[in-house]
Amino acid sequence: MTDTVTLTIDGHEVTVPKGTSLLHAAETLGTEVPHYCYHPGLTAPAQCRICLVEVEGAPKLQPSCVTMAQDGQVVHTDSPAAKRMRQGVLEFYLVNHPLDCPICDMSGECMLQDYVFDEGREKGRSREPKRVFGRDDFGGDVLYYGDRCVMCTRCVRFMDEVARDSRLTVVERGSRAVIDTFFDRGLEGASFAGNVVDICPVGALVSKDFLHKARAWDLDHTPSVCPNCSQGCNIELHTRDNLVQRLKPRENQEVNGHWMCDYGRANYEWMNRPGRLEEPAAGRGAKRRRVDWKSALEHLFVQLRAGVGAEVKVVGSAAASNEALAALAAVAGEAGEVSSRVFRSPRAADEVPLPGFPLLVRRHDLAPNVDGAGLLGFERTGDDEAKGGLEDVAGHDGVLFVLGDELADRNEDFGAAAGLYVYLGAFDSPAARNADYVLPVTTFAEEEGSFVNAQGRVQRYRQGLQSPGSARPAWLVLGALAAALGGHGTPATAADVFAGLVAAHAAFAGLTWDALGDRGAALRTEAVHG
Amino acid sequence: MAYPYRHESETRILSEGFGDPAARTVAGWKAMGGYAGIARALEIGREATIDEVKASGLRGRGGAGFPTGLKWSFMPKDARRPHYLLCNADESEPGTFKDREIIRWTPHQLIEGCLVGSYAIGAAHCYIYLRGEFFESTQVLARALEEAYDKGLVGRDIMGSGVDIDMTLHVGAGAYICGEETGLMSSLEGRRGEPRVKPPFPAAVGAFGMPSTINNVETLAATPHILRHGGEWYRQWGTDKSPGTKLFCVSGHVRKPGNYEFPLGFPMMELIEDVCGGIPNGRALKAVIPGGSSVPIMSADDCRECSLCYEGVEAAGSMLGCASVIVMDDTTDIVKQVRRMAYFYAHESCGQCTPCREGTAWATRILRRIEDGRGTEDDLDTLIEISEQMTGTTICVLSDSLAMPIISSIEKFRDDYLALIRRGERVGAA
Amino acid sequence: MSDARFRNPGWAGNTGEFDLTEADVRGSEFVGEQPLDGGHPGVAPSLPYMLVRKDPEAPLFEGPYLERFEKIRTRYPTARAALIPALNLAQELRGHVSPETMDEVAALLGLSDAFVRGVATFYTMYNKRPVGRFLIQVCTNISCNIRGADEVLAAFLEHTGTELGETSSDGDFTVAEAECLAACGFPTCVQINSRYFEDVSVEDVPEVLARLKREVNDGF
Repeated sequence: MTDTVTLTIDGHEVTVPKGTSLLHAAETLGTEVPHYCYHPGLTAPAQCRICLVEVEGAPKLQPSCVTMAQDGQVVHTDSPAAKRMRQGVLEFYLVNHPLDCPICDMSGECMLQDYVFDEGREKGRSREPKRVFGRDDFGGDVLYYGDRCVMCTRCVRFMDEVARDSRLTVVERGSRAVIDTFFDRGLEGASFAGNVVDICPVGALVSKDFLHKARAWDLDHTPSVCPNCSQGCNIELHTRDNLVQRLKPRENQEVNGHWMCDYGRANYEWMNRPGRLEEPAAGRGAKRRRVDWKSALEHLFVQLRAGVGAEVKVVGSAAASNEALAALAAVAGEAGEVSSRVFRSPRAADEVPLPGFPLLVRRHDLAPNVDGAGLLGFERTGDDEAKGGLEDVAGHDGVLFVLGDELADRNEDFGAAAGLYVYLGAFDSPAARNADYVLPVTTFAEEEGSFVNAQGRVQRYRQGLQSPGSARPAWLVLGALAAALGGHGTPATAADVFAGLVAAHAAFAGLTWDALGDRGAALRTEAVHG
Repeated sequence: MAYPYRHESETRILSEGFGDPAARTVAGWKAMGGYAGIARALEIGREATIDEVKASGLRGRGGAGFPTGLKWSFMPKDARRPHYLLCNADESEPGTFKDREIIRWTPHQLIEGCLVGSYAIGAAHCYIYLRGEFFESTQVLARALEEAYDKGLVGRDIMGSGVDIDMTLHVGAGAYICGEETGLMSSLEGRRGEPRVKPPFPAAVGAFGMPSTINNVETLAATPHILRHGGEWYRQWGTDKSPGTKLFCVSGHVRKPGNYEFPLGFPMMELIEDVCGGIPNGRALKAVIPGGSSVPIMSADDCRECSLCYEGVEAAGSMLGCASVIVMDDTTDIVKQVRRMAYFYAHESCGQCTPCREGTAWATRILRRIEDGRGTEDDLDTLIEISEQMTGTTICVLSDSLAMPIISSIEKFRDDYLALIRRGERVGAA
Repeated sequence: MSDARFRNPGWAGNTGEFDLTEADVRGSEFVGEQPLDGGHPGVAPSLPYMLVRKDPEAPLFEGPYLERFEKIRTRYPTARAALIPALNLAQELRGHVSPETMDEVAALLGLSDAFVRGVATFYTMYNKRPVGRFLIQVCTNISCNIRGADEVLAAFLEHTGTELGETSSDGDFTVAEAECLAACGFPTCVQINSRYFEDVSVEDVPEVLARLKREVNDGF
């Protein structure tokens, strides 16, 4: 018995593993069979009936989402019968679906709009007034427009099967059926309900936060990694006007499936926070003055080289990239005797797992790179609110580096005794008053880089926003300094820094930037647990 | 007269006890030969029981006409998992009223049938899914079942055979679709009565995920007689392809509507004219729906030579279904009745499949508009096309069931539609 | 054969030429008293759940009702399967299935409240709001319809002075349209609470209503 079957779809022979649906088999050929109720992360009830295809020898069209590929099958996804049926189903939807695309958030990425545009009738034949249900606040961030609903029940199945929190149901039956919660009890307090908005194929379930905020076609999509906990869910940044408008999950079966948590999804406004550090500055207190990057780095380089041998203390951040942290460690090492490398990071009391996809957990650590920081030699300090723990650093009289920690709990005395105090951050801080150099760096959204998530997986994120002023990625600033101090070539890209990181840190051995791609790669297990 | 539906030419097998209150007791039913069928089944064994039913050629009486013995033989033979027999007593096909008669007059006939079926498929538990509205007949069945339990006919070690068969009356709550076998299973499990995709078939994955067989009341009621007398005996009636007798539910414009039992193959016109006394008030026959509302409408001409068996009605362009003969005289407003049917199917659509959920409701509104004199000839084309799109495109056949009367009525009674359309046009013009 | 109306033995006033009593036809004497504890577990899920007496505040699942519910639970392999019998029982006591009732039933069976709402709204026999002492459901489907069911429905509305689905001011009657009740040979078929009244003509309507008025306290 073989484990594969070979069949013919639209004239092309294809071999797929046994148990592959016709829909999937067609997908391997690059053919998308239209579908609504089918979603790869959910069970398939085969009820929308638009994925019906012709299978030679079968008396009726077969639902391709649940019909398994068999040896020798001859399948037509585009035969006149299949096309006619699809056109019919689309017309049925439009009997009641409002043509309110101009005010619908889903417009531009709507599966009904797309399919009708591709294959629908030019003109609907219905002369009857449309059914009106109105809109319903489901609680949480979710708003329901019953008139637009195609009753695919993806949302109900997500809550049942994946969230295992059956708060949604089909109410009534037939053409009077709508999706609803238990009367006034809604989705508030649910931890993963935002996913129902993502999987809704039309504009029936929309985000209140995103409501009428941007048109789909005006948004740029950037592959990224959620920075709000150490799970590192793969996401996309959806941006417009150089602002993050929303976060959407990006499929990765090793990490988050098709999903992300509501906590992560909702926490994006900080990426758009104004009041950024835009230009490098030098000088303490009243002597602070703007400088350009070239002179800032040249002076800093000179000072560092002059002071080699001093005791160095470093404050990093679990929100900084591996590349920034590795470059920071390298600069500090070149500068003198590093007596302390610490970071502070907030921790939640609880973890929030997704029962139907147990790999996905909203983790204790509410920063993306706690594990990367640890692997790169940084030790956690401070409490669960990322406060305290910097007492000995505050009064340090040697060289002091701070990267990415705003030192919100520290006052203007911080670093007063330091021989050299370098502050790299996106925002100014009262505790940076004594810094000899204040260097503006980019946030994760404005740069390329990588994080190590709680599973020990290294994941790249890409640049979705333009940085303000002349802020630069920390790895670029620190990488250049490290190169100058160490007498080797200056890195031009995050990939260059990563290559150096891999060479310097055994935990990352064997990884390459390209191999990480957009899906990441696991560290060797001994690195994680060793 | 003790019972209204009697005609001297009837062949009364299932209906013998109708109208006789005594038949409701174990003693009364035994006096009519009851519980001999299950006794013989227990004696000859499961395989031989299935063989006997196969030999009788009994076909499912719920509408689809699938051979019962063959259906039973699909059940897995191992007993590693529970098997269930589900008796479909959710009678709700418009025009059909035979199962309620069996239940309220001869409850033990059904109980015995359920025993035979359960035994044959190795089920230790039989659920009788009763239509919610059947409160009174259900209570008759409940008292009969209690007596059967008392007398050791149901429950542990039935009739001292060592075989355990439990029975539970499960009462529905108002949903036509629960008469569809997978919808019934969903409902029995405590869910919305939504039909499920097949495969898997119930014999593999049925109620509660276990192998299950679903049979109609009338089907099961026939099996004790077949076991008692043998499969060949049953074949003395009916045709080669449609053996045995059948309850014909006649309603509509006849003098004596009712349930009458005849061998399959009985001529339709004889049933209407002779048995039911013909059409009253000097009116003429206009149309007949021969199998419950879910089958194509027949014109008077189609009925002339039609014999009431599966193949006979098919030859006349319709389907026997559950042999529910709805007779319409020439005063009948076909468009109104088709609209009423459409309303029914839209009302009963579970709403899962798009063509059914949207199509039945849309068709209803178009028909209503035509009925109100606001239709056009284009609407008729649209109706036919919608109906075609509702045929063979959904999980179950509910939308097909509406498509058939719509298409057949437009084909056969187009003038009725056109008259309304033209009248509307005239009113509109004036 | 005469064209005079052929009357089937649907109810007492109407057994016509037949020697069956209403009790024979309904089997009411045979059935006798229906035990509140449900009797044998195999029949425990089968009691009528549309009664004259309705107490929206009645406690659910207490005393004999709890006993019945426990019996019902033993008949199914899953707790979920007891949902429909439990909703039936709730309506038998309270007359309708309110959100509060759905919530209580959900908690009792360990099901989600939304799931119970989804099930309760799928089935038309659950009254989602209070109805009159007698819920009169007139079949207007095809077999009854071609024999004048629309007129019978209109007569019930006229004689009860109500609109479709509304309850009469004295709280006695709610008139609704029903789908085929499987009594097509006895048009028009009318389900009134848990009983069928068959062969009901327009002329019969006042008499049926008068009888119901007399029976208000009988508890059918």
